Amino acid sequence: MKEFELEPGEHVVLQVRKHWFLFLAELLPYAIMAIVPFALPKLLVLAPPLAQYAAFFDFTTPLMRAAFGVWLLVTWTGAWSAFTRYFLNAWVLTNQRIATIKQQRFFNREVSSLLLPRVQDVTTNISGVVFSLLGIGDIKVQTASEDVEFVMRGIPRPEQMRDLILKYVSTKPQTTNI
Amino acid sequence: MVDQPLQPFAPPSALFAQLHLPDTISAGVAVTWALYIVFAFWALYTLVAVYHWLKYSHASWVAFPAIALHLFISFALMAYALSGNAFSLTPYLP
Repeated sequence: MKEFELEPGEHVVLQVRKHWFLFLAELLPYAIMAIVPFALPKLLVLAPPLAQYAAFFDFTTPLMRAAFGVWLLVTWTGAWSAFTRYFLNAWVLTNQRIATIKQQRFFNREVSSLLLPRVQDVTTNISGVVFSLLGIGDIKVQTASEDVEFVMRGIPRPEQMRDLILKYVSTKPQTTNI
Repeated sequence: MVDQPLQPFAPPSALFAQLHLPDTISAGVAVTWALYIVFAFWALYTLVAVYHWLKYSHASWVAFPAIALHLFISFALMAYALSGNAFSLTPYLP
């Protein structure tokens, strides 16, 4: 991992990203944008008062082809950008800590770690029919200090992640200097 | 306000016919330069995105196929916009 150095004896247990369903949902606007130039001429023909405008979508003319090409290029680049954001955002569980990597936009990246011995409470939340069927949910990890909490939203199988966190919290008992 | 009949929608080709470009610049050249400007923005954006992929994807095997796919699709769409030929995508485009 280049984002943060692993300590001696530390290893990555699990790396998760948002559920693929949420990624597909982010792609939906781009899919609609891509379909519009194909569908609009056919839809206009169905509405008699607007049927005459269907002729404007003549992609054999250089101007319309250029406009259509740019439209699809912008749409494709937007969709690819959504995939980039999806891929560069991740949560990493090691046997010693949880790290969140947030790529909010280009040149705006936040990496934060929470040491497992500080974990006090792990809460999972799955709400909604689709999320229940697909196993999508949130995890809230809280520490002793009230203001520090990690929230992972829209991850797949949050119960599995919670169990793993609790497993590694319990396998490394906190040592005290008393 | 005086009621006026609705004016019919002017198609883009009619708009272009009304444009009074200097004699030295044809509409075709103007469209081509507009495309080049769009492609320049695309190139800048792609450069930044590829930088992030290579720097932050942790040498994942996904990075290079993702970049290659983006470049292939984009170049095909640019070729379509400029000439109407878009490599293997041409049969799927109107």
